[in-house]
Amino acid sequence: MSTIGAAGVELGRPDMIVSDGVDKWYGDFQALKGVSATIAEREVVVVLGPSGSGKSTWIRCINRLEVHQGGSISVDGIELTNDTRNIDKIRSEVGMVFQQFNLFPHLTVMDNITLAPRWVRKQPKADAENRAMELLERVGIPEQAAKFPGQLSGGQQQRVAIARSLAMEPRVMLFDEPTSALDPEMISEVLDVMKDLARGGMTMMVVTHEMGFAREVADRIVFMESGEIVEVGTPEHFFTNPTEDRTKLFLSQIL
Amino acid sequence: MENSQPAPLALDPDHFNVDFTAESDLEALPPEEPGLAPKEWMQKNLFSSVGSTILTIIFSIFALWALRGLFGFMFSGERRWDAVATNARLIAVERYPLDQFNRIWFSLGSLLAMAGLSMAFFRASGYFTLKRIAMWLMNLGVLGLLGVILTPGAKTEVPPVVEGELPTFIQDSFGEAIGGRIVWILVSLVTLGIGLALWYGLGEDRRRTMRIASRWVIAAGFGLAVLSLWVVPYGRYFLENGVATSEPGLVAASTRIPWTIMWATFVGALLLGLALRDRIPARPPKMILGLLWLLAPFILNWIVLRDPDFDYDHVFSTDIPMALAFMLVGGALLYWLSNAGIGEKGKIVSIILLAFALFNWVAGFFGIYPMLQKARLSFLFLGLFALIAGNFSRDVRTRMNYVYAWMGSMAIFHWLVTAVNSPSTLDITSDTYLGGMTLTIFVAWLTLLVSFPLGVLFALARTSDMPIFRLLSTTYIEAVRGVPLITILFFFSVIIPLFLPEGMELAEVAAVVVGYGLFSAAYLAENVRGGLQSIRRGQFEAADALGLTSGQRTSFIVLPQALRVSIPPLVGQSIATFKETSLLAIIGLNDLLRVANNTIPSQTDFVGSKKEGLLVVSAIYFGVSFAMSKYSQRLEKRLGLGTR
Ligand SMILES: Nc1ncnc2c1ncn2[C@@H]1O[C@H](COP(=O)(O)OP(=O)(O)OP(=O)(O)O)[C@@H](O)[C@H]1O
Ligand SMILES: [Mg+2]
Repeated sequence: MSTIGAAGVELGRPDMIVSDGVDKWYGDFQALKGVSATIAEREVVVVLGPSGSGKSTWIRCINRLEVHQGGSISVDGIELTNDTRNIDKIRSEVGMVFQQFNLFPHLTVMDNITLAPRWVRKQPKADAENRAMELLERVGIPEQAAKFPGQLSGGQQQRVAIARSLAMEPRVMLFDEPTSALDPEMISEVLDVMKDLARGGMTMMVVTHEMGFAREVADRIVFMESGEIVEVGTPEHFFTNPTEDRTKLFLSQIL
Repeated sequence: MENSQPAPLALDPDHFNVDFTAESDLEALPPEEPGLAPKEWMQKNLFSSVGSTILTIIFSIFALWALRGLFGFMFSGERRWDAVATNARLIAVERYPLDQFNRIWFSLGSLLAMAGLSMAFFRASGYFTLKRIAMWLMNLGVLGLLGVILTPGAKTEVPPVVEGELPTFIQDSFGEAIGGRIVWILVSLVTLGIGLALWYGLGEDRRRTMRIASRWVIAAGFGLAVLSLWVVPYGRYFLENGVATSEPGLVAASTRIPWTIMWATFVGALLLGLALRDRIPARPPKMILGLLWLLAPFILNWIVLRDPDFDYDHVFSTDIPMALAFMLVGGALLYWLSNAGIGEKGKIVSIILLAFALFNWVAGFFGIYPMLQKARLSFLFLGLFALIAGNFSRDVRTRMNYVYAWMGSMAIFHWLVTAVNSPSTLDITSDTYLGGMTLTIFVAWLTLLVSFPLGVLFALARTSDMPIFRLLSTTYIEAVRGVPLITILFFFSVIIPLFLPEGMELAEVAAVVVGYGLFSAAYLAENVRGGLQSIRRGQFEAADALGLTSGQRTSFIVLPQALRVSIPPLVGQSIATFKETSLLAIIGLNDLLRVANNTIPSQTDFVGSKKEGLLVVSAIYFGVSFAMSKYSQRLEKRLGLGTR
């Protein structure tokens, strides 16, 4: 059982995500074993860990793509229960970016971005489209608005996916290995967008293998293994002076 | 169309739409493999090795033999093609009263006008390169010549058409028998000549790049056929006092003139659409056209062709007030329900409404309180509209559009039901005033309209999270698939009417359409389910993560992709449905097949002339099915199937 101290207290900001003793089973296999952590508003947390350690499972529990069976999760003070109203509320506050982009292939970039604002937020079409163009400019591809996802490079697709999430004006962004499916030369264009977001004060939870990004952008790093949080700390602490043996072993393998 | 770009069309709707492309468009064309000269092509594809040479020879002999058989059959002196010519009207519309024939022409004209406008607004035109056209003409010419040479039996009687028009020297040297062939030889040579001239008259480059939009090819083909009515002496074949009679000369003016008007209507609509489409916003006309295609079978069948005899007292005292009440009161209710702040209250109201709508049937069944059937149906529609009200709670304009949609549906619905309930003015004793080709097309069209939404619903139910829906849908699908269609049709046409409550009548055709629709829905459901299963999990997750409701996820993300994947099997099922309408003949309705198989051979003049009619009917079935299949290939390409 591992816990991160209430970060909100340290940073003097309110808590945004509170995960308290979260358990998750897949059949007999326990993928999460009492995962507890608190993430403050405007904080950027990078989740590291070997393959199969439960990083994706945890982050996906936070917007209910997976259902946790023990413990509690709340986002911005709303607890995730079976009540669909709470789930809807949390989902519209939490944006998610996937490893495989998951853009809608039958819709243009513009329609991909405006779909949810128009139908969930009920924004008029013109407003949604103006906002989408702003976002596309922010991620650096305003000229691709009329194209279909299949016509874009991986890096461009992932930037559209980020814009699509941002269009819902979420308070939290979750990233599950956003650059793992990209060719090396496209990784930085996506990371740049994410850094920009972090600087803008977005609360972010990022699962990634990009150590450079973790070092540069993260406020804190969470290290997981076998469904547990092993160690938590600032990047400096984590990369230069880890306390746990398992962390040291992991770092020696990847660095 | 093998040389069209794979780029998705929705981005650039004009992509398939190049009209008479001149050389200036050369750069825009995709680089094409340089075409092989015919000789090289043959070497490469037909005679590349000893084995392939032998195969080529064997299959050529087989093909020629089959061709000889077909032509021999068609041109044998025993064939009574006049049986088909005399009964052309019977094949097309069976016994529709002659004095009301304008209704048939009006219906056909409406459909052609809609087709022309749709071709323009949906930009649904591919193109033929001149190379392809030249190739086709050459092939046709060669085929014609082969046919003339191969056709067995020199005893062919000279058709009256040719007699006397042949120069005597030909008759002298070849004898009478060759007379009929001369015409075919000339036609084939001319066709071949035009093909060759096109091929060699243009250089390789222009052959490839100059192309004609297929809409013009269709218009020209249709035009040529109509023109031939004015110049080629097909002869007139008709029944006079029940005796088959024929006269040489042009076809009757009552055939020539309406067909010319039909052609003009089609081309006029096409030109109008082309002129308008860049001047007005694209969306409204497309939506109106889509709606018209959905409503056309109902309106044409029940209002135009059936000519209802409205009882105006009843119309003004009951029908119109009732329709207005539903439109206005329902509209106000829906406007209120689509207000953004309504929340749970709205859901409760719409569920109560739906429960009430369903209860009306129960009440009717047990005689608790009476209600007109159309009022029951209207309440059901209102309940369904209320259920989706939340999706339109955006701004006043969206809400009003939603209310207008309700009012429009109600107006059309009440108008149609009133028309169906009024007696027909037509003096026809049989159950249906449709027959032959019209019946076939009507039943197929209506069946598809009924079965598509049903099939999608069953597929969604079968893949839903709710066990009860899954169970119901699976049971239904498996049950229907385990019963032969003909059994279902007998059941619906014979047995169902016995169970209907008194005073409720279902025309046999309607009963049969319900049977067809339910049957075909089960198969469509399985096809759609295949498409649903092909959607990756990530698509669901992305939709969920964005906060879409499950209804929005289904209608915006899942279904569009699933339907796109299922186009080939869906079209396969549509073609099957079209062909299966021929079972109508077995349950005793006068469809296309029955006219050819039973009606014509039983006429005194044409006793036993079955083969001719069957061959023509087969050609019609094949033509329509082939067109559907071709269209689906185009659609697949257009939607970029496989490219993303
Ligand atoms: N749907 C599932 N059914 C059964 N087991 C699962 C399922 N999803 C994940 N698991 C298991 O749960 C464990 C945690 O998986 P998870 O995907 O969270 O790991 P991860 O840390 O994201 O790994 P990676 O770095 O490879 O993405 C793994 O052992 C995995 O096999
Ligand atoms: Mg993972």
